[in-house]
Amino acid sequence: MPKPILRIENLHKKFRDTEVLKGLSLTVYEGEVVVIIGPSGTGKSTLLRCINRLTEPDSGDIYLEEQKIEPGKSNFSQIRQQIGMVFQDFNLFNHLTAVQNVAIGPIKVKKMDKKKAYDLAMKELERVGMAEKAGNYPAELSGGQKQRVAIARALAMDPKIMLFDEPTSALDPELIGEVLEVMKDLANAGMTMMVVSHEMGFAREAADRIVFLEDGVVAEEGSPEKIFNNPERERTREFISKIARLNSGGDDRGLNNK
Amino acid sequence: MGINFAANKVLASIPYLLGGVWITLQITVLALALSTVLGLLLSLLRVYGKGIFHRFSLIYSRLMRSLPLLVILFMLYFLGSEIIDIPAYWAIVLALAFHSAAYQSEIFRGAIQSISKGQMEAALALGMSKYQGIFSVILPQALRRAIPYWANEATIVLKDSSLAYALGVTELMRRGEYVSARTSQPMLTYIIVGLIYLILTYAFTKSMNRIEYKVRIPGLER
Repeated sequence: MPKPILRIENLHKKFRDTEVLKGLSLTVYEGEVVVIIGPSGTGKSTLLRCINRLTEPDSGDIYLEEQKIEPGKSNFSQIRQQIGMVFQDFNLFNHLTAVQNVAIGPIKVKKMDKKKAYDLAMKELERVGMAEKAGNYPAELSGGQKQRVAIARALAMDPKIMLFDEPTSALDPELIGEVLEVMKDLANAGMTMMVVSHEMGFAREAADRIVFLEDGVVAEEGSPEKIFNNPERERTREFISKIARLNSGGDDRGLNNK
Repeated sequence: MGINFAANKVLASIPYLLGGVWITLQITVLALALSTVLGLLLSLLRVYGKGIFHRFSLIYSRLMRSLPLLVILFMLYFLGSEIIDIPAYWAIVLALAFHSAAYQSEIFRGAIQSISKGQMEAALALGMSKYQGIFSVILPQALRRAIPYWANEATIVLKDSSLAYALGVTELMRRGEYVSARTSQPMLTYIIVGLIYLILTYAFTKSMNRIEYKVRIPGLER
């Protein structure tokens, strides 16, 4: 039995009168790639944001390995830096070059020596194929390039798990492939990942488990084959066929046409 | 004896006027240094402060922007003299600083709030503290954005320093008054005084434009 990296227990979150998460529980194991799908408004992004407390849940516990994630506790920042996060709209620091974006985390948070941090940053940029653009500012990069730098920035903190919040939703179609490619490499390298995405090609190829979120709870989960080909619930089937139509012709876009 | 003779007397007073420029610049620089620090602090309290810190910043800004600068100046000078004696020179420096800090706090607040929320979230997600996020991520971007608006406010401070004449501080405006009285050539005198202010603000605005260009973020549209 692989060891659990992230354990979410009975998570609740309300925004004013709307209950988004209704007692969600989920465990992610070491090296596992979990792809989270579900209709809009079911709390996929909220779930990810609750994990590193960009959003404060109302109740429920989340553990990274054995440590409970709790703001205000002395080790909170230390736990947070072990959770890498990739945002839909990149959120690269606009005033820093690509390499500075990647180095700033180790420098400011881990108090790493600058020279060492820049060496590490270059290594991470190479990993996502962005070494040549190390000196460029975010505004000089394409969306796909920005997202790859953002992935490198998260990787530089040497996280135990990476959260991807719709990483390709803000990208032009022809730029999605390069980002998915990087994510697939990461998955193959054994990174534990939680990915909110409707890219079925990626899910089919890289996911170990698909989690279908509906109404603030895990409605159904299983291997990609099971969820995509043989879902138990009618609602899951409907949803899958809907996103399959959206993905149509691009089911595996970017993964084979590189 | 004619208009030429009087005009010559005004022109001969230009070095004396330029001596006033030096004092005008001193007052302006001191007031700006104080008001920028204070304004920045107030803006941070306004955006990130909770409870009474936030409220203090808000009330300070409202109050200072509601009072004429001349009233603040006289309050500091006359009310102050009953408790501690504030020299005229420092009364104008402080009045300008307190007054401008309120406007600058609004400028910085706007600039900070114009930076997208995702920037702070990305900083926090990396494990940075809020404090680190503010100083390493938000302010470097916000301050760049604030430059043209701050520069505009700075020229206002420069021009408002002329109110010091009301307390008898011998800066540019006050010296202009002396020259005008001595030569009986008010129009010519004030044209020259006005030209000097124009040159000062023009030079300042130009150099701020250059700074703004120098620190711009490549590729980023403004």
